[in-house]
Amino acid sequence: MSERIYLLPLWIRLWHWTNALLIILLMITGISLHFADPKLPLVEFSLAARLHQIGGLALVALYALFVVANIVSGNWWQYVPKPPGVLARCWVQAKWYMGGIFRGEPHPYRVSEEANFNALQAISYWVIMYMIMPVMLLSGLVFLFPDFAPDRLFGLDGLLPVAILHYVTGAAIVLFMIIHVYLGTTGATVTSMFKTMINGWHEH
Amino acid sequence: MLASWRQTIVVLLLGGWGLSAFAGGDAPIDTATIELNRKANEACYACHSAAGIAKPPKAGLDLSKLKDSRLEPPVFNPSDHGVMDCRECHSKTHYNDYPHAEAGKTSTVGCTECHAAKVLRLEPQFNASVHAKVKGVKEKFTCFTCHDPHINIVQKRLKDPAKIVAQDNHGCLECHNSSETFAKFAPEGEKTPGQKKARPDIDTIHDWLPNTRAHWKSVRCIECHTPEVAEAKMLSHEILNKEKAEKKCLTCHSANSTLKVRLYRHMVKDEQQKYGFTNSVILSNSYVIGATRHPLLDNILIGLAGLTLLGVLAHGAVRIIAAMGRKGKE
Ligand code: HEC
Ligand code: HEC
Ligand code: HEC
Ligand code: HEC
Ligand code: HEC
Ligand code: HEC
Ligand code: HEC
Ligand code: HEM
Repeated sequence: MSERIYLLPLWIRLWHWTNALLIILLMITGISLHFADPKLPLVEFSLAARLHQIGGLALVALYALFVVANIVSGNWWQYVPKPPGVLARCWVQAKWYMGGIFRGEPHPYRVSEEANFNALQAISYWVIMYMIMPVMLLSGLVFLFPDFAPDRLFGLDGLLPVAILHYVTGAAIVLFMIIHVYLGTTGATVTSMFKTMINGWHEH
Repeated sequence: MLASWRQTIVVLLLGGWGLSAFAGGDAPIDTATIELNRKANEACYACHSAAGIAKPPKAGLDLSKLKDSRLEPPVFNPSDHGVMDCRECHSKTHYNDYPHAEAGKTSTVGCTECHAAKVLRLEPQFNASVHAKVKGVKEKFTCFTCHDPHINIVQKRLKDPAKIVAQDNHGCLECHNSSETFAKFAPEGEKTPGQKKARPDIDTIHDWLPNTRAHWKSVRCIECHTPEVAEAKMLSHEILNKEKAEKKCLTCHSANSTLKVRLYRHMVKDEQQKYGFTNSVILSNSYVIGATRHPLLDNILIGLAGLTLLGVLAHGAVRIIAAMGRKGKE
């Protein structure tokens, strides 16, 4: 048995999997709405709209809980990349993904209870969770209550910028998710990081 | 049946002699005549306007009956009939003086007198409508139930889709969203003999449609409640019942949206893919999910997603191969 540390409290794990399921639901229904076409085998439009609205509201609520819980528990500190040498550490991490990982070199960053993200992770999670997510959620809310959208812009409907913002930030989150899931396989073994997210224990 | 035969003959005769352009026809009216007509109408506005009601031309007049009227020169003049003398429709003999003669009420000139050809074309559709099929409703339903001849402006002159929607939906919602007006037309209820059928709430009927209020503001009832229409043609006057009305979202929410041949048909020839959007004429008024897309942006995002997937798959493949290589060496 290798060394283990208890890394992730239950609330983070519950939040994480609910978040993941909601985003997958929103991705599938969002694609069905945007690319709606009688010839494409997507989720039926009105069902997609209904599921997307329910899922969207659930994600907004979940995000609010996430922010509050992060403040209360102090977990937000994990997302802050700590100077000095943030860029240098990012570079080390990136180099490992580009080379070391293929040569079977050990992970350059050792996870601890105090800091469970490497610098690259901290920055990308920070950007996604505190910059892109809020824009995506807010634009989704305006979409749901279009009276809050500007009336007109550049001779076009005022909902257009909201829709584009929503579409692009939604796409950014989906791209992030693809990479995120894949990087989940780069732990001690292919499955060990997924196990951590389920039982909370990290294997070095 | 007989009536419409008679009409056909009248149309043929009048058309043949080119007489449809007399005072009763719908040919364009020259500016001098328009000036004369507007001058003549001022006599009516002395009472029939907000200013007139507030300050009647004669002391002791009770104009309170007129308070619900929307008549005003700024409303009437730009309307389809705003070039006309009121008395072309409201008999010259009965409305020159006040109190108006009782006979005036029943002598209003019908649409057919001036628009015989149009009426001839529309009447079969009108007669196939839900409103012409229910006993007790059809007797009261006429052209001006929906068309206020003092206010309405034809689509190609109104242009702004938001205004077209407001005007055309007003015609339907006036009744279907007002229990008071609805009761004047409603038939007897099947379950409540002797009593008027209650008005079903318009949002409840359409509760399968998300955000009904947003839809009422950006599309017309007739978009879904009339049969399919050919390009550049006017919509039918046949209002479809709940079995036949359009329920498929993709009719509007897809690249090939029917809104192009319906609400936006007068604009569609100006389609220029503004800023690279498909159906950008629709976008001038509404963002319609699925219909107003940006193909370039779509392709970029699909491309990025494809590259990302390929990237992680390739990375994974190299990892597997490298790991097998290391195992081989051990
Ligand atoms: C002195 C005020 C006055 C003037 C001027 C006037 N009206 Fe009226 N009109 C009324 C009132 C009041 C009513 C409401 C019904 C009533 O009391 O007879 C009315 C009703 C009507 C009606 C509804 C049908 C009816 O007979 O009740 C029509 C149509 C009408 N007027 C047309 C006209 C036209 C056209 C003119 C101009 C040629 C005109 N009126 C000039 C006061 C006036
Ligand atoms: C194109 C024909 C047409 C013209 C022009 C027209 N009307 Fe009318 N008007 C009608 C019809 C049709 C009705 C409805 C009669 C009915 O319901 O039986 C009506 C109803 C009315 C009424 C009673 C209902 C109401 O809206 O208050 C008044 C008052 C009236 N008109 C006044 C006028 C005046 C004043 C003018 C000129 C400024 C005018 N109309 C011009 C066709 C016309
Ligand atoms: C006394 C004759 C007369 C009567 C009655 C009449 N109209 Fe008109 N209508 C006209 C004239 C004239 C025009 C064209 C005005 C112009 O050239 O700007 C017109 C224009 C229109 C237009 C615009 C058509 C277009 O293609 O530009 C519509 C719609 C219309 N009328 C509907 C009706 C309806 C509905 C009724 C019955 C309530 C009615 N009219 C009664 C004379 C009449
Ligand atoms: C149930 C409501 C309703 C009734 C009743 C009705 N109409 Fe219409 N009418 C409409 C609507 C809505 C439009 C706009 C359709 C469109 O945009 O193609 C319209 C359009 C028209 C137009 C064409 C205007 C244009 O765009 O060129 C004419 C003419 C017309 N109606 C005449 C009549 C006549 C005549 C009658 C009586 C036989 C009648 N209507 C009865 C609702 C109605
Ligand atoms: C003056 C009142 C009035 C106006 C205006 C009116 N309606 Fe109606 N409508 C009625 C009444 C009354 C009924 C009959 C209700 C019933 O039988 O249950 C009816 C029935 C219907 C039905 C059939 C419901 C069924 O049982 O399937 C439809 C659909 C409908 N209207 C749509 C429209 C549309 C669309 C417009 C505008 C273009 C319109 N109506 C304008 C009064 C009106
Ligand atoms: C998106 C398409 C769409 C639009 C827009 C729309 N309807 Fe409907 N409407 C339908 C369909 C589909 C049904 C049948 C619903 C069902 O099967 O339960 C219906 C049903 C109805 C009924 C029949 C209710 C009953 O159960 O007897 C009425 C009346 C009606 N609509 C009026 C209107 C009016 C008025 C408007 C405009 C404010 C409007 N509709 C706009 C699609 C539409
Ligand atoms: C007659 C055409 C038409 C049909 C049919 C139609 N829609 Fe729409 N829909 C529109 C238009 C136009 C808008 C844009 C509204 C606006 O301007 O905000 C819209 C907007 C929407 C929105 C976005 C509203 C918001 O929150 O901003 C949703 C969701 C939607 N439709 C769902 C549906 C569903 C689900 C159906 C089928 C049950 C449907 N629509 C059928 C025309 C239609
Ligand atoms: C990763 C998560 C999400 C993705 C990928 C996503 C994606 C999309 C896409 C592609 C559309 C179609 C828009 C268009 O065609 O322009 C859409 C519509 C919409 N989105 Fe999202 N979205 C997500 C989350 C949310 C959230 C959190 C909300 C918040 C309430 C929301 C609310 C809406 C609304 C209201 C619409 C309009 C359609 C409808 O009402 O169903 N979305 N989304």
